[in-house]
Amino acid sequence: MTQNWIDALAADDVPQDDVIGVDVAGRDIALYGMDGEVFATDNICTHGHARLCDGFLEDGEIECPLHQGRFDVRSGKAMCAPLTEDIRSYPVKIENGRVFVDLG
Amino acid sequence: MGDIPAIFPVAPAWEAEGTSRIPFWAYTDEALYKRELERFFYKGHWCYVGLEAEIPNHGDFKRTVVGERSVIMTRAEDGSIHVLENVCAHRGMQFCRERHGNKKDLVCAYHQWSYSLKGDLQGVPFRRGVKQDGKINGGMPKDFKPEDHSLNKLKVSTRGGVVFASFDHEVPSLEAYLGPTILQYFDRLFNGRKLTILGYNRQRIPGNWKLMQENIKDPYHPGLLHTWFITYGLWRADNKSELKMDEHFRHAAMISTRSNAQVKNEVTAGVSSFKESMEIQDKRLLDIVPEPWWGGPTAVMMTVFPSVIFQQQVNSVSTRHIQPDGHGSFDFVWTHFGFEDDTPEMTQRRLIQANLFGPAGFVSADDGEVIELSQNGFEQKPYHRALAEMGGREIENTDHMVTESLIRGMYDYWRKVMGV
Repeated sequence: MTQNWIDALAADDVPQDDVIGVDVAGRDIALYGMDGEVFATDNICTHGHARLCDGFLEDGEIECPLHQGRFDVRSGKAMCAPLTEDIRSYPVKIENGRVFVDLG
Repeated sequence: MGDIPAIFPVAPAWEAEGTSRIPFWAYTDEALYKRELERFFYKGHWCYVGLEAEIPNHGDFKRTVVGERSVIMTRAEDGSIHVLENVCAHRGMQFCRERHGNKKDLVCAYHQWSYSLKGDLQGVPFRRGVKQDGKINGGMPKDFKPEDHSLNKLKVSTRGGVVFASFDHEVPSLEAYLGPTILQYFDRLFNGRKLTILGYNRQRIPGNWKLMQENIKDPYHPGLLHTWFITYGLWRADNKSELKMDEHFRHAAMISTRSNAQVKNEVTAGVSSFKESMEIQDKRLLDIVPEPWWGGPTAVMMTVFPSVIFQQQVNSVSTRHIQPDGHGSFDFVWTHFGFEDDTPEMTQRRLIQANLFGPAGFVSADDGEVIELSQNGFEQKPYHRALAEMGGREIENTDHMVTESLIRGMYDYWRKVMGV
């Protein structure tokens, strides 16, 4: 399977235990720093039109600032109401101090 | 001068014995009306909100009212039915504007507070503040608990596909509220078959809401007011009939049986509007196709105090929801329905017979008009009183229609609850 790794930003710029929004090849992507690992999902909530990078990362779940829906940042799974739809998550790798995301 | 009473009584008192003379101010006094809302619509009573068939699917909702208070009837994911007050827990906005619809959740447009279909607060935008330059600005206080800020949830009871709600969570069971006599007729109509919605009529009637209850508790008028009935020999004072009340006299059932033979006799002979020679082209408007569930009666009109009338007039079945709006006005919402096992011919027949009813109905148009004109009479001389002495001054169940007993019964209950 071919991978389409896109350079997103420097690994040091991903905040620990927090979230940052980045533009990756024209797409609005949220990157999460957790225990030295980085995870990526779409940045726009599947419920209201809010940016998850304005939300709060806790116990591996990102809480949307607008209606407090929570997604598991590793799988993108919607964890509670009012969410009815999972969010898309993407593979991430760190190489030479850079974060690469595969948008598929 | 001493002979002329005050036109607008300062301290109105119910002077007559019993309830056969009803003071006009019972229909015109705004403070009294507020007390009626309080005591009949918001406490101790069940109010009709709709039919389960109006919200068949998860996420379906219907906006309606209990008294004057806007409520939303919803169906949640687990199939359960909820009735929620249409007032946002945040800034009090009446947020739901659509009459019917389907939604995943209920959202107030003002600040997008969102609630589940069961009324629980789900989301408060920026509850935890807004991140800016590594700092968090604003947000709700740490001790803010969403579970303390649900929508106001009403107590709900359903029976036979009919949904009732009450703001009063201490209200007795719906079955106890209706009482065994009325329950028997309720279960006759709503006997467990799934209902289908055929359509709605809506009208605003500029009269006091009680007049609608009285109209259906008054079998004295139909043969006299509704000339349309008489023209075709449909209503006759000698139809086999019964009037029955619950033990509090607040609810009633008017039960009558019409024979298919429309015979001219001494009862119709004197009524000038009876036209032997006139015929209706579409016989389905008038003829009777007996249904097995009737068990005899061809018409049963149930008045369930304070908010609803359940109608079976031959093959036309409907609910009529009384929605008060000030002392001198109410909205009247008719929901025409059928049953899932109806043949297409029966559905057509129910729809055709529904032409007798509603704001422009061949029969019901008359009722809206006399209610308006009654209210006009009351407003011009509130010191006066109406008479309800047909059939005597007592309150009793009868086996005939020539009585105003049910109106007297309703005011007996009204006086007790109102402390008038």
